[in-house]
Amino acid sequence: MRKNNCEVIRRELDELMLDEAASAPVSEHLNDCADCREFHQTQTKLRQMVGSLGTVAAPADFEFRLRARLANDSNGALPFGFAYWPFTRRGLALVSVLILFAIGAVVMWNSMNQPAVTNVAERNPAPAPPRETPQQVQTPVAPRDTQEFQAALPESSPQKIRNERPIEAGQRVKRQLSSVDFSNTRAEVIRATDPAAVFPIDASLQPMRVSLDDGRGNARTISVPTISFGSQRTFASGNTQKGSW
Amino acid sequence: MDTLTTIDEMGFAPTLQQEMLEDTTSDHALLEATRTGDQDAFAELVSRYRNQITSYIYRMTNDYDGAVDLAQETFVRVYRAADRYQRSYAFSTYIYRIATNLAISELRKRKRRKLVSLTGFFQQSDGGEPQELNPPDTRPLQDLELVDTERRNAVQRAIGTLPEKYRAPLILRDVDGRSYDEIAKILETSEGTVKSRISRARGFLREKMRAYL
Repeated sequence: MRKNNCEVIRRELDELMLDEAASAPVSEHLNDCADCREFHQTQTKLRQMVGSLGTVAAPADFEFRLRARLANDSNGALPFGFAYWPFTRRGLALVSVLILFAIGAVVMWNSMNQPAVTNVAERNPAPAPPRETPQQVQTPVAPRDTQEFQAALPESSPQKIRNERPIEAGQRVKRQLSSVDFSNTRAEVIRATDPAAVFPIDASLQPMRVSLDDGRGNARTISVPTISFGSQRTFASGNTQKGSW
Repeated sequence: MDTLTTIDEMGFAPTLQQEMLEDTTSDHALLEATRTGDQDAFAELVSRYRNQITSYIYRMTNDYDGAVDLAQETFVRVYRAADRYQRSYAFSTYIYRIATNLAISELRKRKRRKLVSLTGFFQQSDGGEPQELNPPDTRPLQDLELVDTERRNAVQRAIGTLPEKYRAPLILRDVDGRSYDEIAKILETSEGTVKSRISRARGFLREKMRAYL
């Protein structure tokens, strides 16, 4: 009973402020109980020691530094929300990754859906001379004349055609070409008098292959990649302009 | 017409003026003025609380430079959140709550960083409480000021070893002299919890400071 009473008294003493007087019952108990009196003295001394720590003053330039800090914060507060820049940066990084992923997916999709490409060189090592194929004859722009010759070999040009050695049957061409075989289509016949002849090409979706023959068994094959700009202009003379072939 | 008297003659003027003056200089009024862009009002708030807040955070963290930094951060937050301030609490409660949260956050950061405790080197092998780095000097000291300084340092170190949940209420009560009700509001807990924690904190301190008592 006395122990319980001491606990209550000590709790009450503990809740008092240092300069606050204890109630009459507590004071009476302190007079009677030496343990509680000692506890009270120790506790008071301890609280006095803690209270003696006092207040530590802020530095003299506290307000100056605070103003500078607030000014920096207000300067940094861009309309976009500069305070959230770390989050914005993460968001931009995420968006960049997503865009790269999307581009990669599109590239993969296109590569997987491309039409099957035939290796012309392997299938037809030697280009056959151009044959007349009525179904695929293109209507030339320029009117035809009696004097005709094979394309890209005008009369006025004495240049020798390189790679004159004909490719024998069964011989592999070193440079393999990936294109659709148009060797069985008729070659265009262009007038020699025209310095520049324009002829339409309807092979816009597939690579075009042009065979040139000088009539002496020397042949040259030119493979043109996919054309997407409608028509081409060829020049008979050697002074080809920039950007033309 | 002779019965008309001025307010001064009625004797109300001093009371009204005093009330108006008190109203314009209260913390709430200063924060209201800060909200409208009055920099002087905010400067007045800073001058009222800078020492208290700096001291409180210093007692919590035992690091003066860090305490100054956190005290400034406290005022920055008050300034930024001036629009959202509600008058349901006293301003002192509000600013002490911000300071307490910052101090506790700093203490937790330190704990995560696992700073090497100097007192840790003197931990007893049986896992008991660590011994003080500077044990009390039993030799007689000539200078009374040195004794006081040594005692204050010992108290500060002992407070620094308290768990944060005991440290904050003890400082608010025994160093700052705040009421239980206010401490409960600052720490957002009940008054009974505050009393219990303060009692436990004093018990810890009594054990640690036995040599000085």
